Amino acid sequence: MSEIAGGGGSPEAIATQTIRLTIDGGEVRVPAGATIWEAAREAGVEIPVLCHDSRLPPVGVCRVCLVDVGEKKLTASCVREVSDGMTVATRNEKIDACRKGLTELLLSDYPADADSNGKTGGDELRALAAEYGIEWPVPGANGDRTAPVSGIPSGNGRPIDRSSPVIRVDHQSCILCDRCIRACDEVQVNGVIGRTGKGYGTRIGFDLDDPMGVSTCVSCGECEKVCPTGALSLVQLAEGAAVPVPKRRSELKQVDSVCPYCGVGCAITYQVDEARNRVVYADGRASPVNHERLCVKGRYGFDYAHHPQRLTVPLIRRESAYPKGPLSPEVEQSDEKKRRRPGGLVDYDHVLPHFREATWEEAIELAGRRLRGIRDEHGSSAMAGFGSAKCSNEEAYLFQKLIRAGFGTNNIDHCTRLCHASSVAALLETIGSGAVTNVFGDVHNAEVALITGSNTTVNHPVAATFMKQAVRQGKTKIIVVEPRRIDMADHAEMFLQIRSGTDVAFYNALMHVLIEEDLVDHVFVRERTKDFESLRATVDKYTPDMAAEICGIPADDIRHAARLFGNARTAMVFWGMGIAQSVHGTDNARCLISLMLMTGNVGRQGTGLHPLRGQNNVQGASDAGLIPIVYPDYQSVKDPEVRAKFEAAWGVELDPDPGLTVVEIMGQALEGNIKGMYMMGENPFLSDPNVNKVRKALANLDFLVVQDIFLTETAEFADVILPATTQLEKVGTYTNSDRRVQVGRKALESPGQAREDWRIVSDLATAFGYRMTYESPAQVFEEFTALAPSYAGMTYENLGLTGKLWPCPDIESDGIQVLFGDTFPTPDGLGRFVPAEFTPAAEPPDEEFPFVLNTGRLLEHWHTGTMTRRSRALHAIAPEARVELHPDDLAALGARDGGPVHVASRRGSITLTAQASRNLLPGNVFIPFHFREAAANVLTYDALDPYGKIPGFKFCAVRVEAAD
Amino acid sequence: MSLIHELEVLQDERGHLTKDDLRELARRLAVPQYRLQELVSFYPHFRTEPAAPISISACRDMSCHLGGGPGLAGRLASRLADVPHVRVEETSCLGCCELAPAVRVNGVPVRASDEEALERAIRAGGPAREVRPHRSWRTDPYGDVESGYEGIRMALAQAQPDAAADRMIAELEKSGLRGMGGAGFPTGFKWKLVRGEAATPKYVVCNADESEPGTFKDRVILEDLPYLVIEGMMLAGLTVGSSRGIVYLRHEYADARAALEAEIERARGTGWLGRDILGSGFDFDVDVFISPGGYILGEETALLEALEDRRGEPRNKPPFPGQKGLYGLPTLMNNVETFAHAAAIGAEGADWWIGHGADGHAGLKFVAVSGHVERPGVYEIPMGTPVADLLEMAGGVSGGRELKAFAPGGASSHFLPADRVGTAMDFDALDEAGSMMGSGALVVVAEGTPLLPLAANIVRFFRNESCGKCVPCRDGTEKATAMLERATESGEAIDMDVIGKLNLLLTETSICGLGFVALNPLLSVAKHWPEEIPMRGGGSR
Repeated sequence: MSEIAGGGGSPEAIATQTIRLTIDGGEVRVPAGATIWEAAREAGVEIPVLCHDSRLPPVGVCRVCLVDVGEKKLTASCVREVSDGMTVATRNEKIDACRKGLTELLLSDYPADADSNGKTGGDELRALAAEYGIEWPVPGANGDRTAPVSGIPSGNGRPIDRSSPVIRVDHQSCILCDRCIRACDEVQVNGVIGRTGKGYGTRIGFDLDDPMGVSTCVSCGECEKVCPTGALSLVQLAEGAAVPVPKRRSELKQVDSVCPYCGVGCAITYQVDEARNRVVYADGRASPVNHERLCVKGRYGFDYAHHPQRLTVPLIRRESAYPKGPLSPEVEQSDEKKRRRPGGLVDYDHVLPHFREATWEEAIELAGRRLRGIRDEHGSSAMAGFGSAKCSNEEAYLFQKLIRAGFGTNNIDHCTRLCHASSVAALLETIGSGAVTNVFGDVHNAEVALITGSNTTVNHPVAATFMKQAVRQGKTKIIVVEPRRIDMADHAEMFLQIRSGTDVAFYNALMHVLIEEDLVDHVFVRERTKDFESLRATVDKYTPDMAAEICGIPADDIRHAARLFGNARTAMVFWGMGIAQSVHGTDNARCLISLMLMTGNVGRQGTGLHPLRGQNNVQGASDAGLIPIVYPDYQSVKDPEVRAKFEAAWGVELDPDPGLTVVEIMGQALEGNIKGMYMMGENPFLSDPNVNKVRKALANLDFLVVQDIFLTETAEFADVILPATTQLEKVGTYTNSDRRVQVGRKALESPGQAREDWRIVSDLATAFGYRMTYESPAQVFEEFTALAPSYAGMTYENLGLTGKLWPCPDIESDGIQVLFGDTFPTPDGLGRFVPAEFTPAAEPPDEEFPFVLNTGRLLEHWHTGTMTRRSRALHAIAPEARVELHPDDLAALGARDGGPVHVASRRGSITLTAQASRNLLPGNVFIPFHFREAAANVLTYDALDPYGKIPGFKFCAVRVEAAD
Repeated sequence: MSLIHELEVLQDERGHLTKDDLRELARRLAVPQYRLQELVSFYPHFRTEPAAPISISACRDMSCHLGGGPGLAGRLASRLADVPHVRVEETSCLGCCELAPAVRVNGVPVRASDEEALERAIRAGGPAREVRPHRSWRTDPYGDVESGYEGIRMALAQAQPDAAADRMIAELEKSGLRGMGGAGFPTGFKWKLVRGEAATPKYVVCNADESEPGTFKDRVILEDLPYLVIEGMMLAGLTVGSSRGIVYLRHEYADARAALEAEIERARGTGWLGRDILGSGFDFDVDVFISPGGYILGEETALLEALEDRRGEPRNKPPFPGQKGLYGLPTLMNNVETFAHAAAIGAEGADWWIGHGADGHAGLKFVAVSGHVERPGVYEIPMGTPVADLLEMAGGVSGGRELKAFAPGGASSHFLPADRVGTAMDFDALDEAGSMMGSGALVVVAEGTPLLPLAANIVRFFRNESCGKCVPCRDGTEKATAMLERATESGEAIDMDVIGKLNLLLTETSICGLGFVALNPLLSVAKHWPEEIPMRGGGSR
C-alpha cells in the first residue's frame, strides 16, 4: 500500500475558483479550498477555537469552532471547506450552548491552580470561560486539583513532567488540542510529540512516552508557544523565577530585533520588563526568514546579557601581571599532572585580580597611545585587528576603517577565516561572488536538495525546518552526504556516509556518472560556463568503483545519487563547515560549484549554491570589509581605482598590499613581527586550531586591546580590556546567510559603564589619532552604504521589520532573491569549472593515533560558549563536553558510555566523558569545540587549505584511552 | 512502509515490544519514535509487557454482562490463583456473544457459563475450540463455492463494460439494499457516487471490523460465505472502477480469517481473482488486513486511518470516503453483509432478493441474537420479520422468563420495552419505534434484570472504546460513566440536566457516530423505566 494521494483536479485550476457564501447574513467571496473559519475571518467574524492556529493544518478536535450550515448536525468550521451557496451561522442558541458546554467540560478537568503565568502564548481556555460567564476557578478543588463545573464531575489525576530544563509539562492542564503535536511535527518537523494512550487516558507523549527532558526534544519551544492552556509553559516563568516578573504581554515592552546567534538571522520580538531591564521571554516574529520559528538558542539563550559576569568597567592589566601569560589556573600550570581540573568558564576570581579598574578616558588614552607608539616605531605591518562576525555591519565597517585608515594596514580579518574562507575563495574564482545565489527558504522549489558537510538541524536549526518541511510536504528530496549520520539523514531520500575527508573523490565520481549518463545541462554549460573540458578530463578517472573504494560506500549508491540529482529539474546545494573547514576546503567547494554548473542549477527558482553562514553577521562582516584583501563590498585593495575611492572617502593614504589572515597573523605574532593588536569580540583562543600555539602568540604581543562582553580566554593576555555591549543593548544591522540585511533594535540598557562597540571603536580611533565622530549607527550605515554598491539605498527606515536582500537595485522591493539568472559577475560573465584532484588527509590515522577526530558544534551552544554557557537554559540542557564514539570502539577500548576518556593528538590531550553513538562509523570520534575544559582545538591540526587559508578542523588523528 | 505490520512482525518475533526494540525500529525505518508510540499505545493488539503463557481475556460487555459476566474475570483469577503463568484480564466485546459469558483462552473463544468446567479445562491444558457447523443461507444463490461467482461471470460477459456497471447500480437501487453495518446508507447510491468520482486509483474496502456488543453476524457470514463477500467486492470493483480490494478484519476472528484467506487463495488459483479475469481485461485482487483492535476501527474513516498506519481516529467529514478515502482517493466501503447481499443481487437480480422480504419489506437480514435467549446465534430473516417471531426462532427468553426489554440494533440502539416486541425488524419500522436496526443485533433482556447497571455497562463500553480524538466524546463519555457508576454504586442521583448537556455535546459536536450514540441506552432506560434510575434535574421530567 504505497500509493500516494493524487486525486482531485489540478491545484492551479481550483485556486482560481471563487466561492460565494453567506456568513451571518453577509455575503463572502473566498477562493475554493478555504475553510469556513478562514472565510469568516476574511469577513471579519472571529470564530472561537482552541485547537486551531492559522500556521497549523486544522484538525477539528476541540469542536469549539462549530457552526451551523443548515445540516443535521453542527460542523467544525476550521476543517470544513466552503462550498458555493453555503449559508453559515456562526452563532445561535444551540452553538452557544455547545461552546459553553465544551468549555465547561474541559474546565471540569482543568486544575484550579493551573499556573498560566508561564504561558508565553495566549491563555485561551480561560478567555473562553470568561466569555461564557463560567465561574472559574471553582472554589474547593479536590485533591486532584479539580472541582466540578456546572455539575459536571471533575477528575483528572494526570502528572506534571518537570524533566525539561525549559518547558514544564502539566498534563492535567492539557486539553489535547494537538497544537503542540503539529507545531513539533509540521512546523519544526522535529517529530517528538504525539498522542499516547487512548480515549480518556490519552495524553501527549514525547517519543516513546518518555519524560520530555530525556526525549529527543530539541527544546525549540514551538510547542510551548502554541499551547492555548498553559499545559506547556516556560519553566522560569512558571516556577523558576527568583524575582517576580510581569508576564502579561501588556505589561511588557515588545522590541523587534534579530537573533544574535547563527547566520539564519531569525526575526525575534523580545518581551522586555523595562523596569528591571530584563528580557522576560522571546517570540519568533513573522518574517520571510523564519516564519515565526526559533530554535532553542534564539528562544531561550538571551539571558547571557543579564549574567553577573558581564564586564562593566574598563580594565587595565596590573604591573604585577607582566610578563604576560595565561592567567587561568588550569593553563597557567605547565605541569599537566598538577594542573587543577578546570571549571567551565574563565575563572574570574583568579583572573580579575590581575587587572585594575580604570576610567574610560584612561583606558582609551592608554590603548590609543600604546598602539600608536607601536605603529610609529615598527610600522603599520606590526599592527593587526580581529573584528567579529557577531558585531553589526556598522561596527565591522568602523573597525576595518580604523585598522586600514588609522593603523594603516590590511591586517584585518575575522572568524570567517575559520569557517567559509575556502568556500568564498572557490566561489570568487568560479562565479565571481562569495555570497549565496539563492535563499534557503526556496528549498521547497528544489526537487532535490544536496546537504553536505552541514549538520543543519544543529547548526542552522530554523533553516533546517524549511528543508525538513519541504520533504514532508513531498516537494523536495534530500541527499545527505556526511561522515556522521546526522538527524537530517532521517529526512533524506539518500544518506551517503562517506569517510571523512573524501569529498572530492565522491563528487568527482558523481560528476563522472552525470557525464557518462549524459545528465549534463549542455545548454547551460555552453552558454554560461567555460573550461568544462578540463573538468571532464579530471573526473574521467573517478569511476564510481574507484570512489567507492576511497569513500567507503557502494559504487551503486554513487550512481543512484547521480541519477537522482541529475534528473531533477531544480536542485540546490547547502554546505557547511564539513566542506569548508578542511585542508581541501577550496577543492571541496569547487566540486560542489562544478556540480551545480554542469547541471544548470544556478540562477533559477529552486536552484542555487548556499554555503550556510555560521555567525549571525558573518555575511555582513565580510560585506563590510573585515577581510584582508578587500574593502567593503569586496572591492579589491589591490585595485588602484578602488583604493583611490576609499582614500578619498577616508581622507588618508591606504596600504596597497593585501593583509594577513587570522592564522597568519597569529604566526607573525609568534614570530614577533606583529606587535600591536585590537580584538573586537573575537576569542581566537578556543576557536583557532592548535590553541597552545595561540597562547604563545598572544603572550608575545607588545600590546593587546580586547573588547568584549565577558572575560574571555583571549582577554587574559590583554593589556586593556574594554567592556562592550551585547546585541540586545544596541542598534545595528546584521546580514544573514540569505544576504538579508535586518535591523537589530535595542531591548536593554547596557550594564555599568559598558559601551556600544561602535562608540568604543570611534573613541579608540580618535585616541589613536584618526578622528571619528559619529552620532549614531544610522550615520555609520549611511557612510557604509554609500561605499558599498550592494547596499546602496538601504536605510533603517526602508529596511523596516523584515529587512531587505542585497543586492536591492529597486529599493522599493525586497531585494533580489535568486542571483545570476543571466550572467556571472566574472570578467567574461561566464562561470568557470575548476577541477580538483583527490588528495589524502594531511594527518591520516596510524597505529599510534588510530582514530579520526571530527569537531563541530552542539545545538545548544555557540562557538566558545561565551554566551551560551552563561545562559541558564542552554547550560542546563548541555552542561558538559562529551566525545562521541561508536559503541564497538568504546567496548574495544574498555571504556563505558558515560565514563571518562582521554583523547590525545600529537598536539595535546584532553579528558572528557564518552558518549556511545551509532551515528559515527567505527574509527571516528566527534568532539564539540565549545568547552574550554576539554577544548577540542587542543587536539586539532593547524594545516591550512592552500587557497582559503582555512584550517582543517574536521580531520586529525587521535588516540582514545579509558580514564577510569 | 507499513508501521502496523512492522510492529506486528516485531511483536511476533520478540513476544512483546520493548522501548529498546521500538527505538531500534524507529531508527531503522527512519520514522519518529512517537509514530510508533502512538500506535502501540492505541491498539490493544500491541503489548509492551511479556504475554502470559496462559492468557485469559474475559468479555465485560453487554451480552456477557447479561450472561453473568460481571465479576467473571475476578472469579476466574481466584480459581486459577495457584496456576503459574496465568493472566486474567477483562476485555471489550469479543464478537462471540452467543457464548456469553465469553472468554478467550490463548486466543480460543469459549463459553464461561460453567466456571468450574472452564477451570478444569484450563488446568488440563486449555479448552477445545467449539466448532460451529457450516450452514446454508438463503441469500447464497449458489449453495456451494464451486457454483459461485456467477454474478461476476455474467457482468464480465457484457459487451459494454459500462453496461455491467449500469445494470449493477440499477439492480441495487431497485432492490433497496441498504448498508448493513449500522448506518443503512442506500448501497446503489453509494456505488453510483464512487463510480462518478474522477480520481484514480480507487479502492474497495470491506468493513469486517464488527465490534459492537451483541453483534457477530459478519463473523458467521465470513466463515460460511467468503466467496459471496469476495464476489460482492469484485462487482463493486467492476462498477466503481477499482481493482484493489481490502478486507479489514478484526483480529479476534481467526476462523473467519482462515476461511477468507483460503477462499482468496482458491479464487486466485482458479482465476477469479488476479489479472485479466476471464480474459475480460478486468483486474481485481483482495487482501486481508487484520485490525490491531478497537471498536472504533469499525468507523469507516478510523478504519482508513489504520490502513494508513495511523491511530484509528475518525476523520472530520466531509469529505466522505467515497470522495477522499484511502490515501485521499475514492474508496467504496461496505459492510460484509452488504457485499454478500450485493453479490446475490448481482447473480439473481433485485426482484429475486426483494421477494425474500416479509409483509411488504424487501430482502433478507442477518441478525445476531444474544442476551437472555434460549438459542443465541445468527438468524437470517426476511426483512420485516417481527421481533417477536425472531425471538421465537431463538427459542424465546431463556429460563422461561418474561421479556423486559430488547435492543434491536446492538449496544448503541435504544432499548425498547416488551410491548414493542411486535415491531418489524426493518430500518424504518425500528426508527419509528424509537430505536434502530443498527448493526443487526437483537439483545434480549429478561424480566428481573436491573437496567441501571446494564446502561452503565454500555456507556462504559463507549467510554472505553472512545478513541479520544475529540473533546465531547473523550471527556463526555467519561463524565457520564462517572455519574452512572456513582449512581450504580451508591445510589447517587443522576443530574439529568447534566446528562442532557452531555448528550447535546455528544450528539451535536462529536466527530463520529460513537459519540452520537454513547448515551442512547441510558436515555432509553430513563425514558421507559424512569423508576430504575435515581434522577434529579429537569431532564428527568
